[in-house]
Amino acid sequence: MKNHFLFPYWTRYLGWALVILHVPLSMLGRAHGMINIMDPQPRDQGIFAGEHLFFICTTLVMSAGLFLVAFAKEKIEDEQIWQIRLDSLRWAIFINYLVLIISLIFIEDVPHMLELNLWVPLIFFIIRFRWVIFRLNRSLSREGDYEK
Amino acid sequence: MKNNIRVERAIKNITQAELAEQVSVSRQTINTIESNKYVPSTVLALKIAKVFNKPLEEIFMLEEGD
Repeated sequence: MKNHFLFPYWTRYLGWALVILHVPLSMLGRAHGMINIMDPQPRDQGIFAGEHLFFICTTLVMSAGLFLVAFAKEKIEDEQIWQIRLDSLRWAIFINYLVLIISLIFIEDVPHMLELNLWVPLIFFIIRFRWVIFRLNRSLSREGDYEK
Repeated sequence: MKNNIRVERAIKNITQAELAEQVSVSRQTINTIESNKYVPSTVLALKIAKVFNKPLEEIFMLEEGD
């Protein structure tokens, strides 16, 4: 299990911190009218417009956080973890395209669809990966009595 | 694929955790291999055989349907 690049173990905590930080940040922005999700046409256009900058900040903070959580190393990285990771990624891509295709057919709001696409695969990957590892640990503790 | 790691471990008197440490994987991985839920890679299978000082075929064997 060498030569595979993943972030160090501690970056998962940094990742969660960023994801949590994103919540009050975007709520603050919404309260001050910096972003209005119902408004399809932003008031001021351009890359350096306040609205756009704020959107970039919060979205980047969230997706960077999710990215770090998703691709941080486990405490013990072995081939089984690697297999679970690949399998979860496969499921995440499946689900993502399913959501994408369904929303392409039924929803006409393309910008929000893209935003959805930004976090659906990562969130789903994290949930699936953690769930399988949780189940693995649970079965281990159940069989723990035989172990010795 | 079946294996008799559990028996070999009992003969050698080592725990799952000790075996896991010797082949540098997690205890979960050894546990799932023992209960036939996970098929190890050739490298890992060879490492496990080396710990028990036995040829690979004596620890891992094919089942019908494999």
